[in-house]
Amino acid sequence: MSLLSVQNVTRRFGSLVAVDNVSMTVEPGELRAVIGPNGAGKTTFFNLISGFLRPTSGRIVFDGEDITDLLPARRVWRGIARTFQITEVFPELTVRENLRIAVEVAAGYRLRPWISRARSTEVDIRVDELVGLGGLGAVRDRLVGELSHGDQRANEIMMALALKPRLLLLDEPTAGMGDQETYEITQLIRRLHRDQRLTIVLIEHDMRVIFHLADRIMVLAEGAVLAEGTPAEIGADEAVQAAYLGQAA
Amino acid sequence: MGVSGKRAADVAVWVLLLTMPYWLNWVGGYTALGSRVLVLALAAMSLNFLLGFTGVLSFGHAAYFGLGVYGVGLTIKYLVPNTLIGMAVGVLVGGAAAVVIGALIVRLRGVYFAMVTIAFGQVFYFIAFRWNVVTGGDDGLSGWRRVPIDLGFTTIDILGNDKAFYYLAFICFAGAIAIMAALLRSPFGRTLLAIRENERRARFLGIPVEFHIWLSWVISCVFVSLAGTLYALLNNFADPHDLRWDQSGDFVIMAVLGGMRSFWGPLIGAAIFVVLQDYVSSETQNWMSFIGLFFVLVVLFFPRGVLGLMQRRTAA
Amino acid sequence: MAVAARGDRAAAMTQLVLFNLFNGLIIGAFYALMALGLSLILNLSGVINFAHGGFLAIGAYLAFAMMPYTGFWWALLLAPVLTAVIGLIVERVLIRRLYGRDPLYSLLLTFGLAFIFEDGLRYIWGPSTVPFATPDWLSASLSGQFFFLTGYRLFMVVLVVVAVVALFVILNRTRLGIRIRAGTLDLETVSVLGVNVRILRNLNFGLGAFLAGLAGVLAAGMLGLQPTIGSTLIMPSFVAIIIGGLGSLPGTLLGGLLIGAASGVVTVFFPSASEAVIYVMMGLVLLVRPRGLLGEEGRF
Repeated sequence: MSLLSVQNVTRRFGSLVAVDNVSMTVEPGELRAVIGPNGAGKTTFFNLISGFLRPTSGRIVFDGEDITDLLPARRVWRGIARTFQITEVFPELTVRENLRIAVEVAAGYRLRPWISRARSTEVDIRVDELVGLGGLGAVRDRLVGELSHGDQRANEIMMALALKPRLLLLDEPTAGMGDQETYEITQLIRRLHRDQRLTIVLIEHDMRVIFHLADRIMVLAEGAVLAEGTPAEIGADEAVQAAYLGQAA
Repeated sequence: MGVSGKRAADVAVWVLLLTMPYWLNWVGGYTALGSRVLVLALAAMSLNFLLGFTGVLSFGHAAYFGLGVYGVGLTIKYLVPNTLIGMAVGVLVGGAAAVVIGALIVRLRGVYFAMVTIAFGQVFYFIAFRWNVVTGGDDGLSGWRRVPIDLGFTTIDILGNDKAFYYLAFICFAGAIAIMAALLRSPFGRTLLAIRENERRARFLGIPVEFHIWLSWVISCVFVSLAGTLYALLNNFADPHDLRWDQSGDFVIMAVLGGMRSFWGPLIGAAIFVVLQDYVSSETQNWMSFIGLFFVLVVLFFPRGVLGLMQRRTAA
Repeated sequence: MAVAARGDRAAAMTQLVLFNLFNGLIIGAFYALMALGLSLILNLSGVINFAHGGFLAIGAYLAFAMMPYTGFWWALLLAPVLTAVIGLIVERVLIRRLYGRDPLYSLLLTFGLAFIFEDGLRYIWGPSTVPFATPDWLSASLSGQFFFLTGYRLFMVVLVVVAVVALFVILNRTRLGIRIRAGTLDLETVSVLGVNVRILRNLNFGLGAFLAGLAGVLAAGMLGLQPTIGSTLIMPSFVAIIIGGLGSLPGTLLGGLLIGAASGVVTVFFPSASEAVIYVMMGLVLLVRPRGLLGEEGRF
């Protein structure tokens, strides 16, 4: 059974159709990329999957369950985690504090007015694991708001990972980054995909990242699906080229 | 400031507070003033639980303060002349109001939330003011006093003995503060920090934001009501002015002045504010202008507060 | 005989209700005027202008000071203009610095200003009520049967209507107005389009202060003038905005009229509860439709 099944989802804002009858099926363990020109509706699409917005019509099924009307926090509990186009973290807290909160919430401790030493230690261990995985060892005690773009993004991804998600949504993880940082984030995502066997859906503009990572690609343009296929197929697709070249011109 | 530095500071503060009645006279104060600082500091710190640590601006906390004030006054005057029962009533009434009102407003945010808290604050002021048969109206509720606490084996004369009252206030203060501090250090407390730092991210970690804000609101208001009961007992009087928006504003400015991001900040803010207000109102008729000017200056030049300023210095 | 008496009573009751309803609408129009100024500033700049009551009082006192020299009508025109100027200065010097920051700070600042204004006015003109003279012919009652319909009240309604219409014309037909409306929706885009956002905010604040000053002159004529006039009247403005909906000027107008009408009607049956009813209405609106009657979703 597929992990995520988006069925004919449409989202309107008044007369503007941001997402137009889009369907997508993601199998467990896949790394799917969603690409398209600016304004194609990619982030709105993510907002629909993560629960930030409700679809005007259509269904979203996650692991056999209809989550179309489920609130964002509840989708997180079901196993969907996401990052945002503009990195959303806790700027005046340190990396470890950021991760600690994520780990505690994931462990179900969010309402606890007190935590035992044993559990606290468990949390610390997990936090350090994530710090290592994200390559944040050098900056673990620094305020996240002061970190480089790449480190902030890694922090955000690690926070999402702390939630032990079954589906990870990454919205333009390499946006605004230079070559070196892009490379590091790409490596991080690859590690997550391979070692943690995470199912990942990725919005990206950077083609190198896409072709490096994606199993399949879905192309959105003006809210609708333009094409779908393997990287090779998409690379050769003329309609896709036109959509992008049209943008460039 | 390292961890041991913080702990030393904590100990120093507790020692100072514990012994205040004994050294306050040397610096030109008097025990009742110390009680006043303690009570208002409790109010300001309770507000700051919501404001500085959860990131939610309430400008109507005087309502719950006032419910504590009138709760204890009305109970002692009309129901049972017993201080502890009166305090319990005050806290319960304040808490109940907070539970209900919190549920109504918790979906709102930012300026809208602040406006609504102001309006609700006004509701209670208006009730205290208008229902003068019961509350004494503009004249306030007088004709009652704090009742010495009869513990069976001994009676604590909080009425005649200023020091005794101070220690009653201190015990309440210490209990409330200890609970709040423990909560802020707990996983629950950290979810509040998360909400302050980035509400969207908190929501997308799976934190039910509205529920947690409601909890923080209720905790904050309950302890402010406690402060209100102590305040009324201190003055042997219930004043509708304790419910007005300027009282709410005073609490906020105490928190900001001392430093919203630090735990002890509001205590320092309260101390400064109380002393300043005491001094200014005895010197001039136009104390209102001075307080207003004070607000303006703090906002423009001192937004991080006293402790905020100090933190920056140690970092550099 | 009994039937006729009951019929009479019903008629008298109806007239009483209508009387109070109309009275309430007049007061409501006035609340709306004040609330509109507050709403303008809130919508564009996100600032809760706690000093709005102070501007109201300043307008009233300026008119009071001017009147012996200029007469009522010129004072009515000039006092709000001067109040607007003070508003422009206050925005430029103080409030402008706080825009990027947490709304907490602008609220505290205007709060402090409210204190300074009230105390300053008390210092200059004393704490007791001063006689605010309105032209005699306005005070005369216009009708024997509807004795409440004094010329002054009618005049007030007319003036409020004129002011509100003028405001909506400004907002819909002038460049400034259109920019204010656009800025309320999306300030960033407006600035990218080349509009000087600083000046826009400044003028908008001045406009809000103008409305407050105008409301002040009118209020003084009706209620009498003392330094606390601002702080007594500011709360209904808040409630009007909350009920009408944040971000909506028509909503604010509606909110003001509603609370005026409601408290007017309630006065007939429970005179002491007439003030309380506006808070009850607020509670109901928050319960049933938290964004306000005409409020936009996601505005807050």
